[in-house]
Amino acid sequence: MNWLRLRRLWRPAPLKRHYDTVIIGGGVHGLATAYYLNRDFGITDVAILESQYIGFGGSGRNTAIVRANQRTAENVRLYEEGLRLWAVLTDELDFNLMFFNCGNLSLGHSEASVGAFRMLAGTHNFLGVKSELLDPQQCAEVIPGLDISDRPRFPIQAGLYHPPGGIVRHDAVVWGLAKGASARGAHIHQGCEVRGIETDGGRVTGVRTSLGDIGCNRLGIMAGGYSTAIAAMVGIELPIHPLTIQAMVTHPLKPFLHHVFSSNGYHVYANQTLKGEIATGAHMDPQVNYTTDATAYYLKHQAEALVELMPALRGVRFMRIWAGLADMTPDMAPIMEGELGWDGLYLDAGWGYFGFKSGPVAGKYMAEYMASGERPEMLKAFQLKRFLENRYSGETAAVMKYGHWD
Amino acid sequence: MGMGDRDGAGVVADRAGPPEGRLPGGPTCRVDFSRPLDFTFLGRPVTGFAGDTVASALYAAGVRIFGRSLKYHRPRGLYSMDGESSNTLMRIDGVPNECAETTELRAGMSVRAQNVRGDPRRDVFGFLDAFDRMMPAGFYYRVFHRPRRAWPIFQNGLRRMAGTGVLDPVGFGDGGRAESGVRAERYLNADVAVIGGGAGGMAAALAAAESGLRVCLFERRGWLGGHLDWRTRDFDGVALHRRGEALAARLLEARSRSPEIVKVFTSSPVTGVWGENLVTGFTVGTGDDPFRECHWECRAETVVVAAGCMDRPLVFNQNDRPGVMQVGAAWRLARTYAVRPGGVAVFSVGDDLGLEAAADLAELGVEIRAVADAREVGRQDAELVAALEERGIPVLSGWAASRAMGRGQVKACELRPLNGTGSRRFRCDLLVANAGMQPRIGVLASVGARLAYCSHTHGYRPIELPPGVFLAGSMTGLRDPRSIEASGRLAGHGAVTCCLDGAQERAGKAAATGGREAEATDRHGAASVATARRDADALPGPVAGCGIRHGPGIGRGAKAFVDLDEDGTYKNVVESARQGFDVPELAKRFGGFGLGPGQYRVAGQNLAMIMAEMRGDPVEAATPTTMRPPLAPPSLATVAGPNHDVHKRTPLHGELAGLGAIFRRAGAWERARHFSEDRACRDEIRNVRRNVGILDSSPLGKFRIFGPDALEALQRVYISDMRGARRGRCKYSAMCNDMGQLVDDGLVVREGENDYYLTTSSGRAGPTVEWFRYHTRYDGWDYNLVNLTDVLGSLNIAGPNARKVLDRVTDSDVSNGGFPYLGCRRITIGDGVEARCLRLGFVGELSFELHVPSSYCRYVWDLLIEAGADFGIRPFGLEAQYCLRAEKGHVIIGAESEARVTLTDIGMGWLWDREDTASQKVGAPALRACEKQPGRMKLVGFRVDGSGRGRNGRDGGGPGSGSPRDGAVVVDGGEIVGYVCTTRRSEALGWRYGMALVREGVVGLGGRLLIRQEESPGRPEICTATVVPPPFYDPEGGKPRS
Repeated sequence: MNWLRLRRLWRPAPLKRHYDTVIIGGGVHGLATAYYLNRDFGITDVAILESQYIGFGGSGRNTAIVRANQRTAENVRLYEEGLRLWAVLTDELDFNLMFFNCGNLSLGHSEASVGAFRMLAGTHNFLGVKSELLDPQQCAEVIPGLDISDRPRFPIQAGLYHPPGGIVRHDAVVWGLAKGASARGAHIHQGCEVRGIETDGGRVTGVRTSLGDIGCNRLGIMAGGYSTAIAAMVGIELPIHPLTIQAMVTHPLKPFLHHVFSSNGYHVYANQTLKGEIATGAHMDPQVNYTTDATAYYLKHQAEALVELMPALRGVRFMRIWAGLADMTPDMAPIMEGELGWDGLYLDAGWGYFGFKSGPVAGKYMAEYMASGERPEMLKAFQLKRFLENRYSGETAAVMKYGHWD
Repeated sequence: MGMGDRDGAGVVADRAGPPEGRLPGGPTCRVDFSRPLDFTFLGRPVTGFAGDTVASALYAAGVRIFGRSLKYHRPRGLYSMDGESSNTLMRIDGVPNECAETTELRAGMSVRAQNVRGDPRRDVFGFLDAFDRMMPAGFYYRVFHRPRRAWPIFQNGLRRMAGTGVLDPVGFGDGGRAESGVRAERYLNADVAVIGGGAGGMAAALAAAESGLRVCLFERRGWLGGHLDWRTRDFDGVALHRRGEALAARLLEARSRSPEIVKVFTSSPVTGVWGENLVTGFTVGTGDDPFRECHWECRAETVVVAAGCMDRPLVFNQNDRPGVMQVGAAWRLARTYAVRPGGVAVFSVGDDLGLEAAADLAELGVEIRAVADAREVGRQDAELVAALEERGIPVLSGWAASRAMGRGQVKACELRPLNGTGSRRFRCDLLVANAGMQPRIGVLASVGARLAYCSHTHGYRPIELPPGVFLAGSMTGLRDPRSIEASGRLAGHGAVTCCLDGAQERAGKAAATGGREAEATDRHGAASVATARRDADALPGPVAGCGIRHGPGIGRGAKAFVDLDEDGTYKNVVESARQGFDVPELAKRFGGFGLGPGQYRVAGQNLAMIMAEMRGDPVEAATPTTMRPPLAPPSLATVAGPNHDVHKRTPLHGELAGLGAIFRRAGAWERARHFSEDRACRDEIRNVRRNVGILDSSPLGKFRIFGPDALEALQRVYISDMRGARRGRCKYSAMCNDMGQLVDDGLVVREGENDYYLTTSSGRAGPTVEWFRYHTRYDGWDYNLVNLTDVLGSLNIAGPNARKVLDRVTDSDVSNGGFPYLGCRRITIGDGVEARCLRLGFVGELSFELHVPSSYCRYVWDLLIEAGADFGIRPFGLEAQYCLRAEKGHVIIGAESEARVTLTDIGMGWLWDREDTASQKVGAPALRACEKQPGRMKLVGFRVDGSGRGRNGRDGGGPGSGSPRDGAVVVDGGEIVGYVCTTRRSEALGWRYGMALVREGVVGLGGRLLIRQEESPGRPEICTATVVPPPFYDPEGGKPRS
């Protein structure tokens, strides 16, 4: 009956004038970093600064899909460890993150996609992460109701089924990590907007905020779509573009969709939340911007895609649409960097579509990076300098255009 | 007739007397007792009438429990008659979550309750209601996860308990027919879009229409009139509903005078107002409409928001009991649908409309035991109080409902004073309760207005409206019908002035640039706005509202519902706050307030007010949670609409189809992929290699660039020295992006002085002009680039017999001497079709590509097919072309190139003019930087060891064949070092070849690749291949030159 005792999940804390470590951004990345800084390295003097309320940004606006079916080995390894953390954190935080290990089915609609899926399956299975190439009939066995006929404009040609993935209750991750970080001494300051970064002799020394100046020895920028603006405060120009991405849910229904499905051809991904809504998201708005305005276009776009892929959804109604910011790099892989020209300054950003699913594992390794000053092996693939060297991550197969890169 | 042509104010006349259980149909009744409609509820026959909604018919038939609630499985009944909660979401004709309160009754409907098996009066999960103490806010985050193994079991249980409607993903239940039906879509433009067809909206529309501007008015109900529609109270000697009808008649008259100018849409809820005043919504088809539902989008210059008010729910103990309903629901049941809402009623209200409703229901014969009014003594309309007291109905000012009693439905209720002690109990079967009215602020949030709590009206009002948005009607707190109409006129005139100002500004700009004189538009200036404002100001302003946050005597353990959809109680708000979720936005997510089908509409304002109280903040600090569209829930089928498949077809589509082509979408185009069921296309490939094939390559990008700086532009975007482009000769080159990645390849031919013809890959036909312009944007160069892709079709004949075929259709010299490899000639085909003819070798054979005007393609095609008959000409498709070029080692962008490789990595570095730095070639710096980088991926050719035919003699590759297929990975030790881009078994070669991207240094020429594919976990297949240089077929390149 422990759950009947109601306690604050995170403690209100006084704003100190100085912290050992300050983290900008009260989302899953920032909170996880704070949590692991203490859990693994005993650093308790940590503040998390959040301009709105925790989970306001991408952490609370995603479709909660988690998976490890990325394209390149370095990404698969990272996300695979990330998948394993949901159950571990549920235990450690004593907070049910509600990991629903339902598996993900990616749908392919072209001959080329079959080869692409085979490459993914080969990569995943070689690394010990399960993925299976399916034919259309098998796809319909995994998800009854998919239209595998020739009626859709892009008929389903293949599927890639990835059993280790699923969905997590995204808000629970934010709150659970806040609980864990706070219990381990971190101060969470909501409504605290960072307005400047103080430096002295090549070192970061603190931040100027809407609640006053705060000194620090180490500073982590983990502010999702807003990271570019914050990095610019110390003159760092990041190859990250903030783009609006939208998602929506339907009225709740009894469970009938037992897996996540996604389709590159239709630019749609969908899953049924634990509450029964069909949550679905699309690709990003093409224009670089900082707004979180939803648009009528995407409501229509999603409806068109979903009724073709799963005609039973025709009678289902949209209930809510929202938008968030995604921080897109040119190669769709993140930047986790401690060599930014300022001692003590660290960056964890550029996650694009993948900020939520990577949160805890990124926090774990960023904590290691920040505590030790040594770049962990796992993060070697995610350095900023790869863009200067034209050594792009292979996370996108095609030469993609997100934002005005060209 | 269209949706705009319905009689919006028509009241059905000449009815027969009321059937059993119905009230006499008065002047505001919209039900036609002469037209009974039979339908079923839980399989049992029920009869309603034309004009009924599903809910009104069920209620009239005695149904009180419509469904069961989400968490506690509490019985739920009719609540708002506007579909503001999930109480009356039902399964109608197999479609889940249909709103019974607003769905028009049709004969033969099958209606079922939700979140319950069978009859909602009995629910096996009803016991859960007793366990609410075990389920504090957010309890599911704190239980079920220990031990770890138990979670999947709990999780499945939770999933089954969650959700309400049932959807059959395969059979669609009995709903296949219901959610089918025609979906239409309509795109509108308006100067003034008016949201809301009440008095304010209609007055605004009329004011705008009188100025001759295009008006679209959208009303979610099936008729105009707003809250005047069902009110019979006398005002200035006229019944209020008559006043509404008169306004509607004027509006409809204006419409019939100029139907293109004035459009009125009823049964048309607005789903959102998006950027740049894009108003969207849908129209539910009735009667004559040729559609079941129609999605529409209206781009409006200005928007008048006159969405009206809805009841603010009163939060008190057991306020969700069937029999507790909002004022509007009880009133409209009686007045609009002639349904007796109850026998014995108690009212607990917060404004004069509530008193008016009580008096009106008393007039209709409902026995009213008491009316509590949360406002203090003296704030009520004395006339209404007198009318009630005349009937012996006590009016308790400063009192409100504190508790509803009764298990399945209300049997009694308790009223208490808000300040002070004491209580009174009344037996009743109907408790009509609200806390006054709240404006429908969702539309305001949707247009981007900033909102603040108004301590006078006790509702939200905009602090600032975006430009072009105007507000009218009862949303502003106005209640006097004259004030409401005046506010509408003011908003209408404001919108008109805004439109005209905008037009004038544009005209002024046109005058400044074009030299034309601006046409002054001063028919309708500030004067009319000033007049309208004076009129409005002379009339009564916003009335004081009621600030009650919840009923009296609410305890911490109270089961008083703030949110009906997700069973969010007052107690849950307290619990959320105690756990740190003490601002509405966090509590909303943690406790689930306003996340269900009713969204913010029921819970929003109360949650904010209660939260402010808990924090000890003044009520003005109550900040609403974010209100998100859609403002009304549209079905996916309706939003998707007809869902036209917009794509391009080549001029030869019909010819190809006639020859059995199997088409696939490729970008914007539908293209012939195969000409038989053999996906390996062996016959097509063989015929090109042995005889001659013909390919419809019309989607190929085709451009002309000319002008003094055309060559400069070419030098910038192409990676080669384009001065080498000569007359009569194809120059092959490529374009890179700034990262040095290959983005396009094609041919450039010089056709004249500063005049070039160029081709791009099909996928780049769209972006090429922008690409050129973008990369020369700072240079001020003078050149013109014309996209000829759709103007010119392209036919490719390839194979040893290609020349023989071509020779038969042209008199031009096509001999090897006169028209050598990579030549480009203007030739005349047949009766005089001018063609550009390019001699190419993409598929590795003698090949001619004819670019002819699209309109001549079929003629040329027929000529070639006829001429080629003797030489074995047959069409081939994209897959055959894909294989043929792969045998030659020719790269296709996206197949053998990707984000990790540059032009040089894929063996095309020879195209790069590395000496040229002056042209600032796009991608050159990156190529230079990457050139000597170690460890990059490189494109290599390979020959699969063994026959490549596989163990079973199958040559398709894949599971069990022992042969790799596209996408197999290349491994080295414990590492993945690359992957197979393309691999096929070549009939011409007799072995399996392929191209792979492999990390440099892993293997050299002649070395071994270890290729591994594992399509199913645990079933790896491994083979080896030897690295050989492409091209595999005809390595000397003699064939295309022959």
